[in-house]
Amino acid sequence: MSLTDLMSMAKPNIEAREKILLKLGGRELVNCFQCLRCTSGCTALKLLELKPHEIVKLVNLGFVDELASSDIVWTCVTCLKCVQRCPQKASPYHVIMALRNLAVEREAKVPEGYLKAVSQILESGLAEAVQDVVTRKMETFNRESLKLPKVAFSKESFQAAFMKIMGE
Amino acid sequence: MPRIGVYVCHCGLNIAGVVNVEKVIEYAKNLPDVVIVKHYTYMCSEPGQHMIRKDIKSHKLDRIVIATCSPRMHEETFRRAVAGAGLNPYLVEIVNLREHVSWAHGDEPEKATEKAKALVRMGVARAKLLEPLEKHKVSVEKNVLVVGGGIAGMQASLDLANAGFKVYLVEKAPSIGGRMAQLDKTFPTLDCSACILTPKMVDVAEHPNIELLTNSEVTEVKGFVGNYEVSIVKKPRYVDEKKCVGCELCTKVCPVKVPDEFNEGLSQTRAISIYSAYAVPKVAIINPKHCLRLKYNKDVCGKCLEVCEAKAIDFKQQPETVQFKVGAIVLAVGSEVFDAAKMPEFGYGSYKNVVSNIEFERIVNASGPTEGKILCPQNGKSPKTVVFVQCIGSRDKRFHEYCCRVGCMASLKQAILTREKLGKDVNIYICFNDMRAFGKGYDEFYRRARDLDINFVAGLPSDIRSDVNGLLHFDVYDKATNKLLEMRPDLVILANGLVPNSDLGEISALFHVSRSADGFLLEMHPKLRPLESAMAGVFLAGACQGPKDIPDTVAQASGAAAKVVDLLVSGEIELEPLKAVVDKDLCSGCRICEPVCPFAAIEMKSENVEGAEKLSAEVVEVMCQGCGLCVSACPTNAIKMQHYTDQQVMAQVRTAYLESGEKGGS
Amino acid sequence: MKVAVFWGCRILTGQYAYEMSVREAFPKLNAELVDLSETNCCGDPVKSMKDLAANYLAARVLALANKTGLDNLLVPCNRCHFVLSEARNVLKNDKSGERIIRVLKEEGLEYNPDVRIWHVIDFLHDFVGLDKVKKAVQKSLKGLKLATHVGCQIIRYSDLGRVDDAENPRKLDELVGVLGAKTVDYAEKLDCCGANLMYSHPDSALSLAGAKLSVLQSLGVDGLVVSCPDCGLMFDSKQKDAGTTVGAKLDLPVVYYTQLLGLSLGIEQEKLGLHLNQSPVGQLLSKVLA
Repeated sequence: MSLTDLMSMAKPNIEAREKILLKLGGRELVNCFQCLRCTSGCTALKLLELKPHEIVKLVNLGFVDELASSDIVWTCVTCLKCVQRCPQKASPYHVIMALRNLAVEREAKVPEGYLKAVSQILESGLAEAVQDVVTRKMETFNRESLKLPKVAFSKESFQAAFMKIMGE
Repeated sequence: MPRIGVYVCHCGLNIAGVVNVEKVIEYAKNLPDVVIVKHYTYMCSEPGQHMIRKDIKSHKLDRIVIATCSPRMHEETFRRAVAGAGLNPYLVEIVNLREHVSWAHGDEPEKATEKAKALVRMGVARAKLLEPLEKHKVSVEKNVLVVGGGIAGMQASLDLANAGFKVYLVEKAPSIGGRMAQLDKTFPTLDCSACILTPKMVDVAEHPNIELLTNSEVTEVKGFVGNYEVSIVKKPRYVDEKKCVGCELCTKVCPVKVPDEFNEGLSQTRAISIYSAYAVPKVAIINPKHCLRLKYNKDVCGKCLEVCEAKAIDFKQQPETVQFKVGAIVLAVGSEVFDAAKMPEFGYGSYKNVVSNIEFERIVNASGPTEGKILCPQNGKSPKTVVFVQCIGSRDKRFHEYCCRVGCMASLKQAILTREKLGKDVNIYICFNDMRAFGKGYDEFYRRARDLDINFVAGLPSDIRSDVNGLLHFDVYDKATNKLLEMRPDLVILANGLVPNSDLGEISALFHVSRSADGFLLEMHPKLRPLESAMAGVFLAGACQGPKDIPDTVAQASGAAAKVVDLLVSGEIELEPLKAVVDKDLCSGCRICEPVCPFAAIEMKSENVEGAEKLSAEVVEVMCQGCGLCVSACPTNAIKMQHYTDQQVMAQVRTAYLESGEKGGS
Repeated sequence: MKVAVFWGCRILTGQYAYEMSVREAFPKLNAELVDLSETNCCGDPVKSMKDLAANYLAARVLALANKTGLDNLLVPCNRCHFVLSEARNVLKNDKSGERIIRVLKEEGLEYNPDVRIWHVIDFLHDFVGLDKVKKAVQKSLKGLKLATHVGCQIIRYSDLGRVDDAENPRKLDELVGVLGAKTVDYAEKLDCCGANLMYSHPDSALSLAGAKLSVLQSLGVDGLVVSCPDCGLMFDSKQKDAGTTVGAKLDLPVVYYTQLLGLSLGIEQEKLGLHLNQSPVGQLLSKVLA
């Protein structure tokens, strides 16, 4: 193999790189020339040290595995600034989402919030559970008391189709 | 009975490495009318050519088929070779066994050999029907039109004028000098731009062979290479060029303020003014959009009339159209600077302390709006922190994909000038993606910048922000130190790229010159023919062909001038006979061909035939480019394409599938 | 004129004030809202898990919209608007679209890519039109100085075709302007509320929201106008938590644009859910009623 990361002894995973490129449906990520505009403006950089330019470069070099099993790909806020401003349309956001999909496929660590959302969708069709709200005056309200219409959801047919697609 | 000689080239291993040359030779020997078949490793070489010449004489050959590389490579060579043996050069047929066979089918040598045989068979069938053709000569005008009076246009004009040609130099602005006149110092030498430019400007103005038309534009171009007829409109200055002495008293009394274009709008001049401190010609010009008298068409104001002692002001001046005949045209219309307002995230246009590189050039210039003092436009104070941001509008799929070529060097220069003017207590940073210092003395210049403690941040910011007090700040990630840096500059200079002129579309249409994908004017070949356009007789010089610095511009301008001399010096040019020809007897005068020709090369001629007027088409040989559209459009088959007649082409088609018996097509 | 409406999840399960104010205000502008026969999540959180499933959910929403027979679909949530727009793009160009369309057919749903997707902002600004909104105003909000937060996913990324300009969005400001109020510009205008991080890094999410709220507060505005339930969640519902996270005392009134719109159209506060806002909207309201 032509390349080794001497810190981790990792080697590029060309197959995984191809898989990511396939998921992206385009090869713009290879056009990234590390101008750093994405990272300079990244919403998640200061708090969570997300560096979109680094993620794109690592994928391009083939170091996909370490990213798919990392926490860093789950720190993106999806503000889309990097997509908007990248001069090469390399779109780090889309690369990160592809890495997330890969992580889920490989059953690597996924933040609980997302797993909860999926099970909630199965349960009620919505990603959140219906909640009561408490006002500043400590009164409690819900959809019924606010005279809002019931949420319509056809559980069986939806569940069947959704589970099928999730499983494919 | 034709006597055909077939010559198969190995092209080293280029052809022979895939095609079985032996089999092709054996096959060719059996083709009808083939008298001799030979082969050689490099047919285009002297021994190869000698072989052909010798055989023409000894075997009395009258048609030659050479199976070799693309005709675009050596067709001319072989034509000259056979002409040397006394055979008409147009009796040579080139069969492409390289680009069309060995290079395209390298992995299928057997099929490639079969294809080679088929192509040779087709070539022989066509060669039989080739006819001798003659080049015609046409005389040319020894005058040249140079469009654009920047350094490229001026250099080309001077070179041509010195070579004895009459030059018409047309410049859109009221003065020549172009972009270079706006610059302060030039990289990498830090020469004063005006000091090296103004002597040339004076030379141009005083050269007996150069007729200078400023404030003028080309409106029409007719004709063909060697014989162009151009119309130029001289827009009114409302000041008589012959009378104005350039005293500028008029400017002092004019009450109307207008943004000063030469200073990029950073200062104001008057409705009547001289274009710049070093304008050539030094003649005032009135801006009709702002002058009260011209704008409202009333006899108001007139203050300039009162003070002009030379009585040069003439509000009744009209545009004047002049026409010239020229043999060649040099396009040197330059380029514009990217408008950074298209990238609002950087605050250009909203924040006064964010300026473009060309604006900063005027600021730093002693003849500019601040007399050369580097002051922040917002508050007029001297900056303590100056930041340059590179690649604005360039290398960007959203705007212009190309690299502007001069942005890095320009910023390095401006950073060095800032250090020289403001001293060592000022912080100077350049935020960059790549630092491109490729030319002679350029990387040394980059080192000079580093020596002066100019700091380089390896990363570009995402945006530039201003707080409520107008103080600028932005974040930038430096990939060298892996640090997120917050910068608080007093002044930001954006390295805007060079872009094609907004009116380049009109230039393109006017001169029939195409544009490349990046929007600049298209050269004939990017490496081997960078100075010619595809339009014969129209040459390109300077930034209009692609962004470039002064050294390359001057080199290109002198090169273009040399090409013009090459074209016109003998007083005549030879035309390739690959043209359409109308058979008058078959022409019905239906005129279908006339509008079909993209080069306006068809004229209808009427003549008296047996007492009646007969209209028939005639191809203007010098303008015909041999595209063949008229040939296929003609309903009576009256037009023939010389060297590509229907019979010649059909002979190839008929012999193409002879052996395989397939019908072809997919 | 009738328009179908897709609420998403956040609005239906908690951000009731947004729903109430849209349901109340739109009919006054001649827009009759038609709910979908049933609903499901647009697929936003599923995008991070499995693209195919996320696109299926989005396509299902568009198919349900198609079922109403109406040409226009109102999507008041920024994220849903983005998810539906991206999914429509994918289904146009990708083979996976065929699979999804087939599964929907099996359910008896017909996918139609031609349904026009609108957000509240461009629906009011472009479809209804600024002058019509202005004409309908009964009570001017003159004297109010407000800041707008348009959010991220309806202005980016431009290539997808969004609701407003990515670098200089003005539509929400103009919509506030026709109500009589003034809006201010501020450097952090395009900064994200951080909502999406609530799935994985809630402290960081609140930190982002808190930072922006602190800046807004220092501008001295009467309130912040939002038009996305996620932004509303962060800036209004979680304002207290955000303040705790960044160590600032935050009391900035935060309202949905449609709540302001409703007020100026003469609709009662309770009908607009103004009693549900967690931020101190009382300050803002007293200025309006004065």
